[in-house]
Amino acid sequence: MNRRNKLATSCIFLLAAIILVVCGCAPKMVTKGQTYPLMYEELPVSILILPPINESTAAEAKEYYSTTIEEPLSYWGYYVLPFELTSELLKMEGIYDTELYRNVPLAKFREYFGADAVLFTTIKKWNLTYVVLAANLTVSIDCELKSTKTDKTLWKYNGTVVVDLSGGSSGSGIAGLIAKAIVTAAQSAAADYVPHARTANFRALRALPFGKYHNLFMKDQEFKFVNKNQP
Amino acid sequence: MKRNTVLILAFITSICLLTVGCAPKPKMYYWGDYSRSLYNCKKDPSEENLLKHKQTLENIIETSKTMSLRIPPGVCAELGYIYFKQNNEKLALQYFDMEESIYPESKILMTRYKQAIALRQKKDTPNKTEADIKPNKINESSDSSIKK
Repeated sequence: MNRRNKLATSCIFLLAAIILVVCGCAPKMVTKGQTYPLMYEELPVSILILPPINESTAAEAKEYYSTTIEEPLSYWGYYVLPFELTSELLKMEGIYDTELYRNVPLAKFREYFGADAVLFTTIKKWNLTYVVLAANLTVSIDCELKSTKTDKTLWKYNGTVVVDLSGGSSGSGIAGLIAKAIVTAAQSAAADYVPHARTANFRALRALPFGKYHNLFMKDQEFKFVNKNQP
Repeated sequence: MKRNTVLILAFITSICLLTVGCAPKPKMYYWGDYSRSLYNCKKDPSEENLLKHKQTLENIIETSKTMSLRIPPGVCAELGYIYFKQNNEKLALQYFDMEESIYPESKILMTRYKQAIALRQKKDTPNKTEADIKPNKINESSDSSIKK
């Protein structure tokens, strides 16, 4: 009996370990309510997405990335101010490209656009790494939501996606290796970063409390996620 | 045996928590081909791609209506903005109003664009640039010249 018990217990631990690895969720879980209390105090509705700050080596990342954030943010129940219209105004003010908007008092964004909060995004990585016969694509994005009322940070998170672009096995031997190298090259050339940026967004937003237009608005304080900000 | 049951229960609960915490992906809007057609416009702003993006926006509005979903935020405003750039004030106003009626949060931004239209019509110069929407300064040090 005792032996059976032990066996069952170890089986459960093994299964749990496998699930944790597969899920990619580290065991350090926190709730949204505990981590982002200001979100539930201020309840921002309208969000202004500022042009992303590009720290990656890819110059085009900035323009492309902006096409991927509105959609996921809307699914979280927020009113996302139309980026095409707001960026046009920022361009006119000459503060779109230069990242000068970092010096603008946040209250101005409330007055000017009617934004309750502004979303600062930083593209940390947007590149391909080659390893002999394989290639990895990494897209990493930092998000920070700041209040236009209090200038305080309401929410902060990072989303990273690493995609293995190597073409899987295609036979063995030298012929197989060459075929694999060709597939890798072709896939890297055609590597479209945008879908991966979208995945990175969904990963980052997982920790964001839901907004007014979501049916779980004010009901998700106990939702858990992996805390990456405080290691 | 009892301890075993407790362990199994704890295990199931942890799986449930993980699943719930990991994937809240609700279906509340129809965004159609938005992300891709906008991306194509940025990559290559040709007439063809711009027209396709406009059609995507129209399709989102129509489909949302037939599916009785709320039109996603910003879609009406963006379509209005396309008409605004084409100097079609009537349709621009119509879509800006539509955005405002669905999302009252857009009022300040929409008012800015509607004022620009009013200004344009008052001046009666159909080929004005978007310079009209420029209100009081947001950033004192900025350059006010506009090149389009």
